[in-house]
Amino acid sequence: MKGRPNLYTDYRKEIAILNTTTQKFWALIGLTLLIISSFFFSQYWMYLITTALLTAVAAWGLNIVSGFAGQISLAHGAFVGIGTYVSAVLGGVGSSYIRGYELDMLIWLPLAGIVPAIIGLIISPLAVRLKGLNLGLVTLGLVFIASYIFSNWNSVTGGSGIGRKTAKLKIFGIDFNDGFYAGSYHIEKDQFIFFLSLILFIFAGIGVKNLMRSKIGRAYAAIRDRDIAAEAIGINLYRFKASAFALSSFYAGVAGSLIFVMSGGVDPTQFNLVYSVTFIAIVIVGGAGTVLGPLFGAAFFSLIPGVIKYFLHFFGTTADQVPLHPTQIERLVFGLLLIGFLIFESRGLWGIWFRLRNYFKAWPFSY
Amino acid sequence: MTIFLQASFEGLALGAVYSLVAIGLVLIYKAMDVLSFAQPALAVVGAGIISALAVDRGINFWVAFILALIMTGIIGTLSERIFLRPMVGEPVFSVAILTLGLDVLYRTVLDNWIGVNPRYMGDPIYTWGEFGSITIGGVILKFQEIGALITAILAVLFLGYFFKVSKYGLAMRATSFDQETSLAQGINVGRIFGLVWFIAGILAAFAGFFITGGFNLLTQASFVSAFRALPAVVIGGLDSIPGAIVGSIIIGLTQGYVAYYQFPFESFTGINLGNGFSLLAPYLIMFLILIVKPDGLFGTEEVERV
Repeated sequence: MKGRPNLYTDYRKEIAILNTTTQKFWALIGLTLLIISSFFFSQYWMYLITTALLTAVAAWGLNIVSGFAGQISLAHGAFVGIGTYVSAVLGGVGSSYIRGYELDMLIWLPLAGIVPAIIGLIISPLAVRLKGLNLGLVTLGLVFIASYIFSNWNSVTGGSGIGRKTAKLKIFGIDFNDGFYAGSYHIEKDQFIFFLSLILFIFAGIGVKNLMRSKIGRAYAAIRDRDIAAEAIGINLYRFKASAFALSSFYAGVAGSLIFVMSGGVDPTQFNLVYSVTFIAIVIVGGAGTVLGPLFGAAFFSLIPGVIKYFLHFFGTTADQVPLHPTQIERLVFGLLLIGFLIFESRGLWGIWFRLRNYFKAWPFSY
Repeated sequence: MTIFLQASFEGLALGAVYSLVAIGLVLIYKAMDVLSFAQPALAVVGAGIISALAVDRGINFWVAFILALIMTGIIGTLSERIFLRPMVGEPVFSVAILTLGLDVLYRTVLDNWIGVNPRYMGDPIYTWGEFGSITIGGVILKFQEIGALITAILAVLFLGYFFKVSKYGLAMRATSFDQETSLAQGINVGRIFGLVWFIAGILAAFAGFFITGGFNLLTQASFVSAFRALPAVVIGGLDSIPGAIVGSIIIGLTQGYVAYYQFPFESFTGINLGNGFSLLAPYLIMFLILIVKPDGLFGTEEVERV
């Protein structure tokens, strides 16, 4: 069977997570490059890459509910926020007016996922009752309710404009906030967070892939394609829509618990409408309903600030020579990309990659 | 009693402002099955143009106002022509997300122009001073709020007349009924789409003026107020103009009553609802109504073919 990578003699092999040698090869190369690069990149790029990894985890969450199960959620950013604050309260440092219990990371990391998942379950009856645009509008309302609660619950969030510190990294009672020594080599805190995110990212990726190739994933796809038909063939709509919301919120919460740890503090105004729209843009630009898509999208959007900064530096322009602030250029690019991909390539970056791959696979007979 | 009347009046005026945005949303939805998340941002764009012309350029307010209305309408038409026309026939949800992208574009450009300091709107009638007010039986009626009510009523009457009598009104009704059949009858559906966005843009600019006029000022957060037209549309039903008006009034009154009765309620029950709860109440009302009636109060129930 050697040299015939597309011939499968076993169903198990065909639905394997990495089912071709090429995929295995590139996954290995990617991982190695990521790990090696963590020792060479500057702190700024490390920060961007870590953010990209965690954003990909959160975007996978949105992809479960919107890409696989076809239920619109504009409130994904709010769930990321809930995860952030659960972790900050349980693992953060308290003061006279802000709550913080300085617990171990083994406690706050799972809880940061479980609490948003429960909240997702609580609101899921809405999702079952509504569909299409009305569901989108209701989740839009959730964004405003969440940001209202975030900016008013001062003992948890520190209040808008002030914010609070995020969770401390303490595992098995060992404090990692100043880095640690592996042998004689000192691993910085940022590097540590990077490796933590990488492990989380790998597990989350395997989780999504497994979900997609299992019974649950097929049920989600059936609901997305035609909910009435799905119900007719015996899929319990209520159970699967609710579980899709819960799972997506779990991913959002876990990603949210770590995403602000690197910068150290978080302001409640962060979790506004634009933040939620960012995740939608990531899923759409990356490619909805695919596993690789949100990863492309997250890398793309998280690295844009660095690229813009690099170009400004490269052409020797300073920030005040450009009429727009870098963050505003970022948002313009982001809006234009969202529109452009919807109009020209609705399958997103994944679609472009897919067509390129097929072109070269069929070369020289590609047309 | 005075407080009740005051709250009712302010609520009604707010409802009138929301209804201007909401009617535009419903018109667009009926004509082309698109829910435009960009409409609230378009309202604020209209306000921005008024401020830029009347305050920065020093043009007479009324000239600036009319220019701004037309320019906002044109921005609406152009957005439709450039961004939404290629999306005809695509899934409803994709187009809705595209309008979210439009919303981000409008707001980024506008936020950059507004900057940190709030912007003034200029004064329509200078001698009245800062938009003025009259007092009837202890109830303070701001001219701005009276203006909003009158504008909304006139807009509804005009649109009703327009749809009933004019050639283009008839064409619009036909388009919203069935696009392909109206194409077959010789209606230029593309032009109808442009016209709908033009009307929606003008209505949005009116709303933008009433939201940011007087002491409210134009800031980077102004669009949040305009956004509350969305729950209004949802309450009324996405495809019903009477629904949009009723929904807006419900939202406006809720906001008015909560603003005036929150403090007495809090001191009576001891529950602290927090700052600006009145701005949140519309969304809670939306949840309640949607759980009971998923298609809104006046919306036509969606019939699905299996």
